[in-house]
Amino acid sequence: MTKKEITKEVVCEPPRTRLQSIPIMNCPGCHYGIIIRMICEVIEELGIEDRTIGLGGGGCTGFWTMYFDLDMYGGVHGPGLAIATAIKRVHPDSIVFAAQGDGEMGAIGLGYFMAATLRGEKITTIFLNNACFGTTGGQMAPTTLLGMRTTTTTQGRDPKITGFPFHGAELAASMKGTAYSARMSVHTPANRQKAKKALKTAFEKQIAGVGFSIVEFLSACPVNWHLGPKECLDFIENQMIAEYPLGEFKNVDYIEHLSDG
Amino acid sequence: MAKGEVVINEILCKGCELCIVFCPQSCITLSQGKINPEGYLLPVISEPEKCNACGICGQMCPDMAISVYRLKESKTT
Repeated sequence: MTKKEITKEVVCEPPRTRLQSIPIMNCPGCHYGIIIRMICEVIEELGIEDRTIGLGGGGCTGFWTMYFDLDMYGGVHGPGLAIATAIKRVHPDSIVFAAQGDGEMGAIGLGYFMAATLRGEKITTIFLNNACFGTTGGQMAPTTLLGMRTTTTTQGRDPKITGFPFHGAELAASMKGTAYSARMSVHTPANRQKAKKALKTAFEKQIAGVGFSIVEFLSACPVNWHLGPKECLDFIENQMIAEYPLGEFKNVDYIEHLSDG
Repeated sequence: MAKGEVVINEILCKGCELCIVFCPQSCITLSQGKINPEGYLLPVISEPEKCNACGICGQMCPDMAISVYRLKESKTT
């Protein structure tokens, strides 16, 4: 007599470096959850979960300290990269990643960001670009698109008054201490695969001790853009990518006077 | 027999509909009036036999509420 047995093979389950007891507290349709999952997957694939130290920031990335089953540190709004530098220098064997929002790294923390890239600190920065200050109610951030309406630019952003959008990945790529700089998006499954590869490369640059690595993610903010989660995907595809082109801007394996080995 | 099984954690789901947008086989639809304790409208697997266990819904879920399993049938004597 033959029996039929059905076996289950896991394709996709919540990652084990994600603390299951804390739910993701971002708004429905926010892309931060996709990016958090991707960071967990990359850390598990590289096998560095026992020596990774993460850094949350201010605003929506402030919750990140609770999401990971890793050593996490809560930064303040702005000097996240200065704190990450200190962690890396005190624990040189650790792998440090810093989550930074756009308002945080482009406005109040711009000086810390520039200084960290110039020094070529061997840390990985995850720069989350959602074109507004998300937590505080959608005010204009340095990354807000021209003509985009926010609570502080009610007639649309005018470059004569508030200047032009901030391009973090290109800025980091122009610095000598940067080993890897890329801008990625997670608004389609194909882009998510590319983004995961870029994030993995960024962590590998840090493990090899080459220099500063940064990945900028275009991320949706449905509540402050006043769009549904589906319309947010179209907005990223049609308007954000036009202003912020995706791709790798710098990828070097050795920096003179800086890299290990 | 269906190739895959999709399990939605109804407590974590926030009803953002991204799984419905990204499912290449259009297996998932929004339910009619099924809500979770938080008050969000939940998605349902309306056509489970079409699922081919690609795992895209699980990867693209911002709340990590979806688990995907590939089902394999083996005959034993």
